[in-house]
Amino acid sequence: MAALQVWWMTWRTAWLAAVANRRGFVTQITIMIVNDVVWVLFWVLVFSRVDEIRGWRLGDVIVLFAVLTTSAGVVLGALHNSRQIADYVLSGKLDALLNLPGPTLPHLLLRRVETLFIGDAIFGVLLFVLLGDPSPGRFAVFAFGVVCAVVIQVGFLVAAGSSAFFIRQQEPGEMGLHSILLFSSYPVDVFGGATKFLLYVVVPAGFVSSVPARLIDDFDLRWAAATVAVAATVALVGRQVFQLGLRRYTSGSSWV
Amino acid sequence: MTAAPRPALGGTGSPGAGDGAPAAPLPRVLWRALTLSARRTAGDAGQLALNAAFYVLVTTVLAQLWKAAAASLGGEIVGYTAVALVWYIAATEMAVNSIPIHLIPEIGDDITTRRIEVELLRPTSVMAVRVAHTVGRVLPRLALLTVIGVPLAWALGGAPPRPITLLLLLPSLVLAMTLNVVLQHAFAALSFWFGEAKSGWFLFQKLVFVGGGMLLPLEVLPQGVAGVARYLPFAAVAYAPGRLSSGHVEPWWLAVQAGWLVVVGGLTAALFTGGLAHMQRQGA
Repeated sequence: MAALQVWWMTWRTAWLAAVANRRGFVTQITIMIVNDVVWVLFWVLVFSRVDEIRGWRLGDVIVLFAVLTTSAGVVLGALHNSRQIADYVLSGKLDALLNLPGPTLPHLLLRRVETLFIGDAIFGVLLFVLLGDPSPGRFAVFAFGVVCAVVIQVGFLVAAGSSAFFIRQQEPGEMGLHSILLFSSYPVDVFGGATKFLLYVVVPAGFVSSVPARLIDDFDLRWAAATVAVAATVALVGRQVFQLGLRRYTSGSSWV
Repeated sequence: MTAAPRPALGGTGSPGAGDGAPAAPLPRVLWRALTLSARRTAGDAGQLALNAAFYVLVTTVLAQLWKAAAASLGGEIVGYTAVALVWYIAATEMAVNSIPIHLIPEIGDDITTRRIEVELLRPTSVMAVRVAHTVGRVLPRLALLTVIGVPLAWALGGAPPRPITLLLLLPSLVLAMTLNVVLQHAFAALSFWFGEAKSGWFLFQKLVFVGGGMLLPLEVLPQGVAGVARYLPFAAVAYAPGRLSSGHVEPWWLAVQAGWLVVVGGLTAALFTGGLAHMQRQGA
């Protein structure tokens, strides 16, 4: 209970710090929305030349992009430290969190809100509402897809970032972030054979955007269950890798 | 004791204007800055590996996308075959991905925190030394991406449409990279007046991604927009090497790139001189 209260207070403080500069907050959100509009423009331009790419039409890709920007906005904005784990481990900043009550990982994840990416989340919801042909049913599946995508991304980033405990390098964490976001930005059917398999299994990008987008158009209980199972598995793997790493952690304040 | 003449505002003082000891000539200073940072980058294996891995990822993804798009139209889109598109993307990604992604915010940070003021103590151009340093930092990355990119494009798409254009590609990549570095300095210099560089960074990225043809050939844009985009410096940063790599024998792109380098170089020098003067007028 005490831990829950501390987590809540930590997150609340992070939000208050993020919105303290009201003008900066609005500016950064606007910048990110403009940035995302350019990506939509990219897809509009691509589909101005082709009707469909391997079964994906412009409307499908818009929904995919809405799921991705909303979920990535939540992950990189509201849970910003999910991408900073290697930095915390290597710089010794993690020390400050070890005395707090309850598990360390939630303290770390909730500690920082990055305004810029909140713009992504707002944009994603707006995009779905404006161009995603919303209905109560579709919106419910959209929300379901976003929640699963958030859990998958956080779990994956935590696992990738926690590799710093073992190899003392920041690069795998960075690469994890780039790869999951990059692969999630395109319909999974664009890729063939082995790559497609990798995107469902190794870097679960297929379940971050393509599967939720397909579920919104055509809900399938088996695919929905598979998405939940993947989210739970990735979250568990992330937590376990972090916990294992934490046992080896001896502070970044190295004397050698 | 006679006071040594102070370097002109903007750190553009003439060589030899230091405290007694004659300063090294500007080309030698720039060469030293370039080679030192090139050596430093070449020694950072982790960062080079990350850079290469990211390049392979992006190029593979975009190549697959454009191949699929071309296949849905019978193998050709806006005059590019699937093979040409793969080589186009491989080249634009080489040119753009070799540059550190956070370059504009990094320079902007040095400006807004006034760390850049220390550089005024050097009797050379602040902007020229910074550009030389960054070009040196980028050259090993560009070399690596070129070495990886050519076989990657071959594997993803097949033999280059016209191998002779690969000879033009190499100087075009160096010009594109240098122009990109100078342009990013120009965008970052705006933070002398606006106090932040992030907005300029996002704007620049999008101008290169779409307006410069990094993600798609300019021919995909509506005709009027493509016509304008071709005459902007962003096209010289990405579209030019892409166009050459995709089998178009258009050597005049090298002249266009060199021309833009001169124009943008002059503009950036003026922005830095004006910006540093503005900073000094504001005081501590």
